[in-house]
Amino acid sequence: MTPALTSFVRHLAGLLLGASIVALAVAQPVVQAPAAAVSSAAALDTRVQDTKADVIRLNRDLLVLEEELLFPASTQLVVFLSMDVGKLFSLDSVQLKVGDTVVATYLYTPLEVAALHRGGVQRLYLGNLRPGEHQIVAFFTGKGPHDRDYKRGTTIKIDKGVDPRYVELQIKDLQAKLQPEFEVKVWQ
Amino acid sequence: MIERFRSIVANAALAGAAALFCQNAGAQAQPGVKLQAPYYGDTLFHFYQDKHFESITGLMVSQHLNRVAQHADEAEVLRGGLMLSYGLHSEAGKIFAQLIERGTAPAVRDRAWFFLAKIRYQRGLINEAQAALDRVGDQLTPSLQEDRGLLQSNLMLARGEYAAAVTLLTAMTTPAEAGVSGRSASSAASAPYARFNLGVALVKSGDVPRGSALLDELGRAPAADDEAWSLRDKANVALGFAALQDGQPQAARPALERVRLNGLHSNKALLGFGWAAAALKQPQLALVPWAELGARELDDAAVLEARIAVPYAYAELGAYGQSLERYLDAITTFDREGRRLDESIAAVRAGKLVDGLLERHRGENIGWLWNLGTLPQMPHAGHLAPVLAGHPFQEAFKNLRDLQFLGNNLSDWNDKVGVYGDMLLTRQEAYASRLPATLARSREITLGPLQAQRDRLATELQQAQADANGRAFANDHQRDLAERVQRLQQALAAGVVLPDAAASKERVRLAAGALTWQLAQDHSARAWEATKGLGLIDTGLAEAKRREAALVQAQRDEPAKFAAFAQRLAALGGRLRGLQPQVAALAQEQRIEVEQIAVAALESQKTRLAEYTMQARFAVAQLYDRAQVAAVKPATGASDAGPTQEHGNAPPQKP
Repeated sequence: MTPALTSFVRHLAGLLLGASIVALAVAQPVVQAPAAAVSSAAALDTRVQDTKADVIRLNRDLLVLEEELLFPASTQLVVFLSMDVGKLFSLDSVQLKVGDTVVATYLYTPLEVAALHRGGVQRLYLGNLRPGEHQIVAFFTGKGPHDRDYKRGTTIKIDKGVDPRYVELQIKDLQAKLQPEFEVKVWQ
Repeated sequence: MIERFRSIVANAALAGAAALFCQNAGAQAQPGVKLQAPYYGDTLFHFYQDKHFESITGLMVSQHLNRVAQHADEAEVLRGGLMLSYGLHSEAGKIFAQLIERGTAPAVRDRAWFFLAKIRYQRGLINEAQAALDRVGDQLTPSLQEDRGLLQSNLMLARGEYAAAVTLLTAMTTPAEAGVSGRSASSAASAPYARFNLGVALVKSGDVPRGSALLDELGRAPAADDEAWSLRDKANVALGFAALQDGQPQAARPALERVRLNGLHSNKALLGFGWAAAALKQPQLALVPWAELGARELDDAAVLEARIAVPYAYAELGAYGQSLERYLDAITTFDREGRRLDESIAAVRAGKLVDGLLERHRGENIGWLWNLGTLPQMPHAGHLAPVLAGHPFQEAFKNLRDLQFLGNNLSDWNDKVGVYGDMLLTRQEAYASRLPATLARSREITLGPLQAQRDRLATELQQAQADANGRAFANDHQRDLAERVQRLQQALAAGVVLPDAAASKERVRLAAGALTWQLAQDHSARAWEATKGLGLIDTGLAEAKRREAALVQAQRDEPAKFAAFAQRLAALGGRLRGLQPQVAALAQEQRIEVEQIAVAALESQKTRLAEYTMQARFAVAQLYDRAQVAAVKPATGASDAGPTQEHGNAPPQKP
């Protein structure tokens, strides 16, 4: 091997081994930039970070205001939907009625169903309700055991007071009957 | 080309620590863990769909309204992870530091220290990262425990402590020693990476035989998926170049031969394979990989290198004509490529790169998990593949995309705030217009007399119940009968002479008795009905009083509520209007930054190209010199014995 070639190979081998380590070591800066440029980029990054944080905080405050303005606690009704296991029922859509009025109809994407399977809880409906007794009806449509079309309804009567009312529609697997089960939980 | 580009970008994205943090931050919220607050589940619902903005803002609203107190620590860990996904390293660092300070559960505290260490490592703060990692206890989950080991080894490698890294990685990759070290051996998923790092650390520490043996083992291991193939290729390339570095080109060839021809590392492998052959004085064998490499896209330094390595090999074989021709071809290609690079630089400066990328990713949520799947439409976009895959560009472009998303978000809120302001005004006007009529109706209904009437009725009921004769509950007919009986009794008592007096007297007595009996019989039911009726009156009166009080309260509160809402809306509107130009200005600055990074990378490619061009021109000059010498020698009687040491075929120099 010529001296020049040896020098080249050593140089390249060093680079490649270094790069291998860097590739495993997460996100090390690879391109060396002048100090002033790095400092300027860092300053910009800091300002961007601060501004992003400000915007996120502003969003929080605006969302709180929006909720208090549109859905005051005294009339607020929130309906959640969750799924426990859900192997016996593949959810396609949900229709929600409060009294005789359809207040929400929701068609689920595979990503949303997967999020429910992983333990996510969907806020299906946020609205206002007068104090007093009300009936909530939910219809679930999807595929049941043996991939058959499946539609089930569940009903609950709630007494709306002056505090917000949280209702959770739960889709569960009833292993004993190999059937899905639809329950309603009222959070206190 | 595009496939290779996608692979590079996918790898870069996978390496994003923020994504890892988020995955781990949410990992504890798997099914089976009892959810104690539905709003925490709502946050996870968005999080699991990678809708990080909805997730973080929703979570912060829930925290503000104290809806996720049951998951306070987990929520904070998740918030820290989400902040990190937006590149808010400082904010995330503060969250984790606060979690640690407030004395949370050991498992949460350990996770926070671990994430803090990762953040610091990502920011290049090696010592600070080590300090945080030293605070991690023994409460990490097994998968995080493995990540901790890898992070520790990376820190050691970054500090050049190869021997210590070897010791640690050996413990991680040897199950028998796991108990001794207190760390569990790596799982099947992370073990190959730990072993690769161990191999590299061994080579770096000077133990080339052991390091090579380990890399060789990895390089021969069967690969089931693309990730495994990539690691296998990486091991083979590292092994091959370690052998070349060690002066063993023969040993380098089998390792480099095992690298896939279309993988991320194929260019380096082909180049090294050629150099191994050249080192073994087999230029004809070197030509095969170099010719293949030279035909590839010119965006890689290895390909540029191959363009001048091929004529070098031809010259080594004594084919000077072909060598000269290839050198001249390379110079032409490099010149053309240089002009194309100029066009690419001009296009980047004209904004085509950023506009094209933003157009392709319009409407997407912000955060780390994005994918630059295709290159933008612009001249010679291929130059940009390595630029776009680079960490600095991705960081800068992510910031730009986030700022654009946030600018649109603020614009939407600006519209909404205007609508809410109008809505509030309408409510105020409606309240003001309805209040006089409501007050007038309220004044018409005075509760005092009604309450007095109720009290009288209660007294009467009490008396009736005390009398227990049912007379107070008599209906109209019964009262009429009672009056008639009474009149007859009075007439008889006054001595009025009736025909058949005895019988008449007896009939009056019987009628009076029957009426008394009937009233007594009905007493209990009627008393209950009357008590129930009084209860309804009480309920109605209480409701009327409540409404009256509410009306009074509303008259006091509503104007204050309207004022408070208006004040909050005005304050938030002010913040909104203050942030909008700030975000726009930063987006403009960030856009310039992104373009500068791309231009700098392209300029660097140009510089590299110029250096290779210079080498090629130098080689051409050498070949002409040789030809001149050869032409002179026959005249002086000397034979053409190939290149001399002074005018030898110099290999291309790595810039």
